[in-house]
Amino acid sequence: MIYLSQIVNGIGLGMLYFLLAVGLSIIFGLLHFVNFAHGAFYLLGAYLCYALLQHGIDFWWAITLAGLIVAAFAALVEAGLLRRIYRLDHMYHIVATIGLALMIQEFVIIVWGPVGASVSTPPALVGVVMLGNFIYPEYRIFVVGFTAVLALVLWWLLEGTRLGAIVRAGSESSDSISLLGYDIKRINTAVFALGAGLAALAGGLATPIRGLDPFMGVEALAIAFVVVVIGGMGSFTGALIAGLLVGIVQSLMATIWPEGASLAVYIAMVVVVLVMPRGLLGRA
Amino acid sequence: MLHRRQFLKFSAFAAASLAAPGFLRSAFAAGGEITLAAPLPMSGAFASNGKYGSIGTSMAINDAGSILGRKLSYLELDTEGSSATAVRKVQDAMQQRHATLFAGGILSSTALAMSQEINKRDGVLFTTAGADTITGSKCNKATFRWSVPTYGAINETVRPLIDKMPNAKRWYTITPKYVFGEDLLSAAKDVFKEKGIQHVGNSYHSLDTQEFSGYITNALSVRPDVLLLLNFGSQSTACLRQAVNFGVKNRMTIVVAWASGLEQFKALGPDVVENVYFGAQYWHAIDSPFNKQLVAEVKKEKGINPDYALASAYMITKLLIDGARKAGSIDGPAVAKSLEGMEYDGLTGKETIRAADHQVIKNYYLLKGKAKANMKDADDYVEIVNYGQSFRSAKQEQCVMG
Repeated sequence: MIYLSQIVNGIGLGMLYFLLAVGLSIIFGLLHFVNFAHGAFYLLGAYLCYALLQHGIDFWWAITLAGLIVAAFAALVEAGLLRRIYRLDHMYHIVATIGLALMIQEFVIIVWGPVGASVSTPPALVGVVMLGNFIYPEYRIFVVGFTAVLALVLWWLLEGTRLGAIVRAGSESSDSISLLGYDIKRINTAVFALGAGLAALAGGLATPIRGLDPFMGVEALAIAFVVVVIGGMGSFTGALIAGLLVGIVQSLMATIWPEGASLAVYIAMVVVVLVMPRGLLGRA
Repeated sequence: MLHRRQFLKFSAFAAASLAAPGFLRSAFAAGGEITLAAPLPMSGAFASNGKYGSIGTSMAINDAGSILGRKLSYLELDTEGSSATAVRKVQDAMQQRHATLFAGGILSSTALAMSQEINKRDGVLFTTAGADTITGSKCNKATFRWSVPTYGAINETVRPLIDKMPNAKRWYTITPKYVFGEDLLSAAKDVFKEKGIQHVGNSYHSLDTQEFSGYITNALSVRPDVLLLLNFGSQSTACLRQAVNFGVKNRMTIVVAWASGLEQFKALGPDVVENVYFGAQYWHAIDSPFNKQLVAEVKKEKGINPDYALASAYMITKLLIDGARKAGSIDGPAVAKSLEGMEYDGLTGKETIRAADHQVIKNYYLLKGKAKANMKDADDYVEIVNYGQSFRSAKQEQCVMG
């Protein structure tokens, strides 16, 4: 029974991890850009959500606004800085985004201080659901459902619409898309803003679960990269499967090998990379 | 196109860079001054403890002004919560700044590592770390500890709660897998055995995890009467918050054996804190003359109530300064000698530095979270429900001064 409980808990955890990683996966998959500021956008989203709540704004509006504000900020960063280095070596991407991440982290410390903070669960989702010995918070169930719906919407947007087709074509050959009359720069900006906005949304949704602290971005970035590497770099479906795999492994290991539960996630990544070097659904 | 190997290499590089912003922060002072160094976790998961520890240390130094006719200067060393980094920075401070006085080392693992190094180089370390071995089997002539070790923390929290809740016979523990957690767990098991409590399970976790839902699921599956959290800092904050999210508070009593006090309660918020029991080294409402004096000073200068990190850092820094004045020297062994057996009015009332193992004999407190409606001010999160002193003898602690 305990293993079944842990698998169910792991599915919930995995959906959270997918939500964390999906923005990174989109940016990498479509822009071939390694965004080490992804965790910082998550952090900024969490703190903006917190700040809006402090000003009396409703939780649902707060997470929506936080996502939009971070997306707008990311669009400015992309247009003002990152688009100038897309064609440079990946080391430039890394240096630029790490610098950006450190600036955002220090900004959070300056504005909100190094001490963590707490966000209450929305009143409508305060309770727990009980199935025998298995107990699960209603808010986490909501996040799982929300993430599932979000995954479907993103999949439809990227795979089932003309806009998605243009974006995907742009990721294969930006020059060809430009020759067809599409503004590839705008498309790239939109994709980057979407990825960053999703990170911020994840940050806002995570606040009632894990609270806030200025270093939460680093933790989120590590998990996001593990999910993206296991799933296959740039694979949307791979990120979903990997998120679930990581969540279930971590949760099951909490019973089987508790002290190694976090380590098991990285062992799983190593095993997947050794057996399937491109990840579960990575492209050649 | 980025290849997988490059991607993994870049990831490792980036993770290391993001985890080490503390390189950017350090304080330097001019020559001719006496340097008092504070090795604290200024970045990483325990940064909030480091920030307030740093405030406490600098306040104590400012209050003292100078010793032995020389100005005191403050050197902040960011340990990043890592033993290796802490030892390297201590070595640098001793070699380059001739520092001999060290106040800090919040984490047991870093304090133990620094303790050996400082002893080897004839310095003196006053720490607030919790592991029993610091003044036990790994004690040495250079190391002093202000905080009550894990044995006392457990005996002043678990024991009174067992007496208070005679029907709560089934206890579950969640423990970080390092020396501090192991010591707390060992002490808790001893009390369980003595009191006839059934220890229905324990979940170990690593020092870096912030996701506790799996461990909470383990605990819920065995239906204990009490969930005893043996972790510290941001981990106990995350673990407690998630336990409350899972409805644990409505099903059993939650006890946090070693809370960081006010800053932790602020991070958790009154809804989470309510009805939870916390063990604590310090609370700003302690009724002692020296504490009242410190609280007034911190309120005046910083506009806040002192938390454990700030108050304990102030205390250990003051003790080092008092020790140097008494010794008439900043030489480590001389300062250590002058501190041995010292009695003074401390934050928790009369406190004594036991000569045999360099442990400060002081009170440990059991606090209970108040309902938000009962809070008299924004910081009035808890009430003191019990306090006392529990220490094994230096011989029982197996301290042989080296």
